[in-house]
Amino acid sequence: MIFKHLIELYNYRDLIWKLSWGEFKLRYKNSILGYFWSLLEPLLMLTVLYFVFSNLMRVQVEYYQLFLLMGIILWNFLSRSTNIGMFAIVGRPDMIKKIYFPRDIFVISSCITALLMSLFESVVFFIFMAVFRVPLSFNIVYAPLILIFLFFLALGIAMALSALNVYYRDVQFIWDVLMQAGFFATPILYTVDILPEAFRKIVFLNPMARIIVSARDTIIYSTPARSEDLLFMFASSVFFLILGYAIFSRLEPGFAEEI
Amino acid sequence: MAAIEVENLYKMFRIPHEKRNTVFESLAGALKPPQYETFQALNNINFEVDEGEALGIIGENGSGKSTLLKIMANILRPTKGSVKVNKRITPFLELGVGFQPNFTASENVRTYATIMGISKREIEYKLDDVLEFAGLEKFRDTKLKNFSSGMQVRLAFSTAIQTDPEILLMDEVLAVGDMEFQQKCLDVLNQYRNEGVTIIFVSHDLGAVRRFCDRTLLLHKGVQVALGDTGDVIDRYVYGGNETSTPEVSEVEQADTKEVEEPKNRWGDKQIEIVNVEFYDKFGNSGSRFNSFDPITIRIFYQAHKKVMDPVFGIALYSEKGENLFGTNTELKNLTIDSIEGSGHIDLEIDRLTILTGRFFLTVAIHSHDHKPYDWHDKLYSFDVMPTSRDAGIFEIPCNWKL
Repeated sequence: MIFKHLIELYNYRDLIWKLSWGEFKLRYKNSILGYFWSLLEPLLMLTVLYFVFSNLMRVQVEYYQLFLLMGIILWNFLSRSTNIGMFAIVGRPDMIKKIYFPRDIFVISSCITALLMSLFESVVFFIFMAVFRVPLSFNIVYAPLILIFLFFLALGIAMALSALNVYYRDVQFIWDVLMQAGFFATPILYTVDILPEAFRKIVFLNPMARIIVSARDTIIYSTPARSEDLLFMFASSVFFLILGYAIFSRLEPGFAEEI
Repeated sequence: MAAIEVENLYKMFRIPHEKRNTVFESLAGALKPPQYETFQALNNINFEVDEGEALGIIGENGSGKSTLLKIMANILRPTKGSVKVNKRITPFLELGVGFQPNFTASENVRTYATIMGISKREIEYKLDDVLEFAGLEKFRDTKLKNFSSGMQVRLAFSTAIQTDPEILLMDEVLAVGDMEFQQKCLDVLNQYRNEGVTIIFVSHDLGAVRRFCDRTLLLHKGVQVALGDTGDVIDRYVYGGNETSTPEVSEVEQADTKEVEEPKNRWGDKQIEIVNVEFYDKFGNSGSRFNSFDPITIRIFYQAHKKVMDPVFGIALYSEKGENLFGTNTELKNLTIDSIEGSGHIDLEIDRLTILTGRFFLTVAIHSHDHKPYDWHDKLYSFDVMPTSRDAGIFEIPCNWKL
């Protein structure tokens, strides 16, 4: 069943790419600074957070700018892919009601759009890395793997949200609140070291915490990813993907009627 | 092998009394079972479509045609039963789905073509053809939002026909656009047919169904009424077999034909009264809907309260706009009626109804030789004519082309 579906998705690869790229272009088409908004947004956020945490709260972390930027970019990816993905179905009533192709295509392409935006943002990150003369190490090979885990984690959540949003329109508000809380519950602004031992265990139950920490370790701090983390990330992305897909395919038959 | 097999298909829609749209509402209403009306859109539909066959689906509005088509296209799912599609299906349910007003014509053609399942290479190869066929070469890089709706439809259509379908679902596509566009649609449909594409064609245009479809399925309120040879099924639809018309419908139809007591539309000294007027189709059934070019009989039932000498019966036909199209009476047709008394009827037999299509109103009158009205029913009766040919206008003038 799933295998057949994957083949079907592969046959629609042109469409997936067209939708992703189209959405990406559309997001910047009417703004004066065009694609540069994409770079400006995380930079502004970085400036504010860096000022607050580095000067006022006196956080002492090596390469704190990069530390922050990495966390923001990865968190932004999750936040964007779920927020765009959540409207992938309800935002296209005429596509859903008047034509058929596998509907998870919409969600997948939303996540790819978010990925394109994040990859674009990460250009800034690598420029910063060069400016601060941070040495690149061989450990960066882990980065794509972590990114893949993050992508499928986000896709799984986006699938569930997009389907639930068709039936319950307040899912978006609930998700907003969860994301706000998640931003502070995840070690984006701080290191886990400042937390008491008992807290750390709980924080690391959050797959985003492991993703961000491992990405920093491998890219900025030249340390290899821990296999325990990799295993946990792999398991959680598979879990969320299966859960999301299950919810999506359970609710999918009613989309055209409910929307 | 059949291209499409539909077996015991049921589709029920639930229309909730109050729609619960949020998690909060659902939690708050968890104890109270949701109340809803059910609407049986399709009721035990069974048919097969052979490869290369053109099947028409006809029926009134709300008979379930579009629902059936959407289930075949996998947009809606059956409540019960199954639809097996053994070939690649290309739906032409609506043209231009997914058009982005902020993108240029060529970008939109690329996206739409991808949606319709045309490969990337093919699109690049055919892009110029598409724009040329739509007559929009000059606007290749114009944003779609600056296009008129007609231009958008042309663009969508010329893109859609680049597909290489195995099964084509057509829903009222022909209803949009001007005459020229409709002609283009029909040409393309014909071409597909000749190439052996299986076509499912839903339309109110009975003329088009008659020309294109080998077999036709007639739906009435979600029930499969007839399936078979197109000509027979269209007759069944237009003239309504006894089983097709539920009491409700026939009442409505009766109301059309029967007189309404409205004094301003009726005058005369009532020495003779028109009791009723009925239209009879070629099968001798009374009705108010006819195929063009079919025979029709208009029967006027009268009641003469005393013996009346030399009465004249007449009719006049009006278009919906009130133009007088035709009128005649017994005197003009040299039928002299010496006298009538009591009740009886008189028939006006029309061998061939040369009206093409539309709704028509009929005035029926009985008057004396010197034009003193006994009973005059002004435009109190109406009937509909269903098209069977593609000629334009209101009525046919018998003619031939010669070269």
